[in-house]
Amino acid sequence: MEAFLQYFIVGLLEGGLYALVGATIVLVYKATQVPSLAHGQILAFGALFLYVFYTLLGLPLILALLLTFAATCLLGLVIDRMAMRPLIGQPHFAAFLITFAIFIGLDGIYSIILKAKPLDFPNFLPPGHLKIFQINIPLSEFMSFIAVFILFGLLGLFFRFTTVGLNMLATAENHQLAMSTGINVKNIFSFVWGLSALVAAVAGMAAGNIMDISFALPYLGIKGLIVALFGGLDSVLGALLGGLVLGILENVAAGYIDPLVGGGVKEVAAYAMLLLILIVKPYGLFGQVRIERI
Amino acid sequence: MYRACGVVDRTYTKDMAIVRTWYHWTSLAGAVVLLYLLPVLGVDYYYISLINMLSITIITVLGLQIMTGYCGQISFGQPAFMAVGAYTAAILTSQYGVNFWLALPLSGLAAGLVGVVGGAPSLRIKGFYLAMATLAIHFIVMWLIMRLKITGGIGGIYVSSPSLGAFNLDSHERMYFVIITVMLIMTFGARNLVRSKIGRAFVAIRDNDLAAEIMGVNLYYYKLLAFFISCFYAGVAGCLFVHLLTVGHPEQFPMFDAIWYIGMIIVGGMGSIPGVFFGVLTLRLLNELVLFGSPLLAQTLPWLGAAPASCIGMIVFAIVLGIFLIFEPRGLAHRWEIFKASYRIYPFAY
Repeated sequence: MEAFLQYFIVGLLEGGLYALVGATIVLVYKATQVPSLAHGQILAFGALFLYVFYTLLGLPLILALLLTFAATCLLGLVIDRMAMRPLIGQPHFAAFLITFAIFIGLDGIYSIILKAKPLDFPNFLPPGHLKIFQINIPLSEFMSFIAVFILFGLLGLFFRFTTVGLNMLATAENHQLAMSTGINVKNIFSFVWGLSALVAAVAGMAAGNIMDISFALPYLGIKGLIVALFGGLDSVLGALLGGLVLGILENVAAGYIDPLVGGGVKEVAAYAMLLLILIVKPYGLFGQVRIERI
Repeated sequence: MYRACGVVDRTYTKDMAIVRTWYHWTSLAGAVVLLYLLPVLGVDYYYISLINMLSITIITVLGLQIMTGYCGQISFGQPAFMAVGAYTAAILTSQYGVNFWLALPLSGLAAGLVGVVGGAPSLRIKGFYLAMATLAIHFIVMWLIMRLKITGGIGGIYVSSPSLGAFNLDSHERMYFVIITVMLIMTFGARNLVRSKIGRAFVAIRDNDLAAEIMGVNLYYYKLLAFFISCFYAGVAGCLFVHLLTVGHPEQFPMFDAIWYIGMIIVGGMGSIPGVFFGVLTLRLLNELVLFGSPLLAQTLPWLGAAPASCIGMIVFAIVLGIFLIFEPRGLAHRWEIFKASYRIYPFAY
């Protein structure tokens, strides 16, 4: 029981991170109907930017954080302007593939910068462990978990109460109707990429805190896609739930099945879950079921 | 399809012919003979091994072209199905002593069957969802290969080179004849398949699967058939691959290869068999160029570090793929058609 709780809590904390990555993909999908893998790289670059500004340049923490957010946001905007905007009106699959191209291209740049060894992430969160009922909880991960929830709350408020947020919801509903009410859909697309890049930057810092700036960091993007699919591609709430479920499932499955088969369950648990959910509920838990017409 | 003015076909067979004129026949025969004579003419070992790898990639991508370019089912699972074929062949020949020539179709069959199982989700999902499902299948298959005892796990699996009678095919030059023969047969098969009843059903499914179903195309049968054929190609390619290198290892089938293969059919042209050749040649040769050029690049730009050729290759690949997606989504095959048409009617614009 104690072991289970330990797996559960660790999974929950990790799940918060997955949820955040999933949320970035859901944000972009809601507005542009394009599922993006590129956010895996954006979050890796977010962590990298913080390393550059905080560790290399030695700027104060607040300034470094602000610069990191600005730089990551800029990266998102550049991707939108260079690659995504020319593809508006093309089949969605072309846009989906170009996010793969972006992923690979940025992965090349990322690997060149890393020079074959991971960089130490500047751990600005307090070290140490929380001990509740004999369960060890790393304090920094706990804090990033709280930050994830605050961010989700802020996103909810943003969509509910700001004009831009409402415009984004309208765009997600129907591009043409949104245009006819005077919303500039292209600007909304850019805005969505910038916003999702910001969220990805936070996710990158939370992830870098756990796994350093390593080669595995961008591959969180694939986990994010799985989470987004699990919850339904157009539901932020689904991403939150999907992330938590994925984190818990991975850790619990790894904890119990690993000794039986000799390790590595954590790598495939997510994919097995994805396959199952796609067969049972193709549009995810909260996704809108599309009725097709000819 | 497009033919010169004055060419009149009097029979249906002639109308359907792929190779039509004597000029066509001689250039085709000349090219094939030249391809077979290359090792005899004393071409460098490097080029022979390059053509070997190119041919194996072409076989795999032909399968992907049939599934994605013609049937519209996007798959990121091609490396995994290739791995299934490779490991089936390796286990059959090294542990059960099956003849290589028997193992070649058997490995295709095994990969095809795994493909049918893996393609089963395509009955409910499509497009991006299916792409993610095949990605999941890739990871699950690779995980199984790494964990199972029979596949040798992460230690890999070793096979002995095949032989034809007393002739041992133990080098790139000797395997060359086998590989290009299989490649030509597979190309011939694909070219004919896509203009048969099956091919037309695939195209109907790609263009609009609901409409195809209403017109009487059995969606489930043809989708699974597309998966089977595509994975058969991948399996045969895997069998050749593992016998060429005489070693099979999970790392030979990385996930990124799936994106390379998709990139190849985009650069070459979706829904075109010549497009496969264009795409594979363009991207692979670009990659070779980067391999050659990267030491020079590392000299001129020392801050890049120690020759990260693969990284530069990735960046180049991404840029090429992006350019094609944005500016020429129909690929090089489309350009080739335009060129042919304008060449034929030269003095006139159109």
